[in-house]
Amino acid sequence: MNTKIQKIHQFDEVFDSQNVFRLVLEAMANPGRLVDLAAPAGKMFGEEPALLALAMTFLDNEVSFWAGEDGVLSGQISQLTLCRNADISEADFLFLTDGEQLEQAVQNAKCGSLRDPHKSATLIVRTEILGSEFIALSGPGIRDLAELAASPDVVRALLLRKEQAYEYPQGIDFLFIDSQHRLMALPRLVRKEEKKWDM
Amino acid sequence: MKSEYNYGFLDEGSKREIRRSVLKAVAIPGYQVPFGSRELPIGRGWGTGGIQLTLSLIGPEDVLKVIDQGSDESVNAVNIKKFVALCTDVPTTIHTAEATIVQTRHRVPEVPMKNNQILVLQVPTPEPLRVIEPKEEVTKKMHAEKDYAGIWLQLYECLIRYGKVTIGAEYPCMVEGRYVMNPSPIPKFDNPKLNDAECLYLFGAGREKKIYAIPPHTQVIPLAFEDVPFEREDFSGRKCRLCGSEDTYLDEIFDAETGERYYQCSDTAYCKEVRARHESNH
Repeated sequence: MNTKIQKIHQFDEVFDSQNVFRLVLEAMANPGRLVDLAAPAGKMFGEEPALLALAMTFLDNEVSFWAGEDGVLSGQISQLTLCRNADISEADFLFLTDGEQLEQAVQNAKCGSLRDPHKSATLIVRTEILGSEFIALSGPGIRDLAELAASPDVVRALLLRKEQAYEYPQGIDFLFIDSQHRLMALPRLVRKEEKKWDM
Repeated sequence: MKSEYNYGFLDEGSKREIRRSVLKAVAIPGYQVPFGSRELPIGRGWGTGGIQLTLSLIGPEDVLKVIDQGSDESVNAVNIKKFVALCTDVPTTIHTAEATIVQTRHRVPEVPMKNNQILVLQVPTPEPLRVIEPKEEVTKKMHAEKDYAGIWLQLYECLIRYGKVTIGAEYPCMVEGRYVMNPSPIPKFDNPKLNDAECLYLFGAGREKKIYAIPPHTQVIPLAFEDVPFEREDFSGRKCRLCGSEDTYLDEIFDAETGERYYQCSDTAYCKEVRARHESNH
């Protein structure tokens, strides 16, 4: 039998990382905007290529991550990035492969301190972003209001975060990734406005 | 491109750390995120914070502009531009509108920046509270407790002694009602450009090892008293001797022989564009 040896991914550590970083930065600076990670995600492998592309861009042995009970994803991330696995309350990056884990993750994620608010977790959530619930978002990065037809998971994530009642600057930041590898960021200051919709 | 070095000079591990810090800085506008500032082939205090940001941001699609006090042609700007171009091969420009990344020392360009542009500012002293408190441990605690009484007192003392706020550049601002921030030594003229802007502002202090940010559409208010409002530099009655602009930040040039004072645009690229427009109209 002839077996061809080939690389497991085509993701370029230098140029694709830079591309992913700029897209994530654009999303973080403009909450509610969807950016397209399809090209870099297409160069990764497995069930969750977009999550792996983000891991390649941001993770290394200086930080830690948590990826739930998903042993496959955890293994792939550790192997690719040499990032260490940590407890949910200690990890710098939490990878959620579905909305079911949101409650556990939001309630346990570290939120930093008033002195060091940057020592807080970033939650990377693989779920649908767009849905049928119209919400209006406000906060830095958004001119007036950003309107979005959001999925139930996005709405629930915002509600769960609100229930934590963090004292700003403490808090957690969300990155949502959908099945088409579109990414949306909702950093800690972004909130859902209670607005009556005239339908 | 110098191929002995990684693309963008920095190793990927350094870039990753800076990129993680940038995301935190954007999430917490005005908060100074500490980072492990790297050695560069340029002395600390000569724009190393800005350079590290630029090198971590930049990719083959980018167009770079670098200015020093508004000028594309002064030593700091020329050398930084050369260095970045040498290790990335990105094209450079002097036109603000054409650039995707603008690195600057002490000015915000006159041409309004757009949402797809990033302004990288070089910062010598990121800590606005340093003038009243020398210890980093204490200023961190003051920020944590939002204890800004000292800086207000400093403004008040200026008023009592001199009858006006005497701070020129580096005028402290309140970001989103939470953090007092040093906007880097930009003149007061440029402070209003930070508020509710279209573009992302990133601040890098290499020597002090801090990164901070102002995302677009963020509230940035210069500190001022109700009865003594914030004032920009006043150039009324003066105009640029080259292009005739009356609405730009002007440099004063003194001729020691004749004793004459001239004024001309600090933003040299903008001044050139205005002159070119005048010429094409004639």
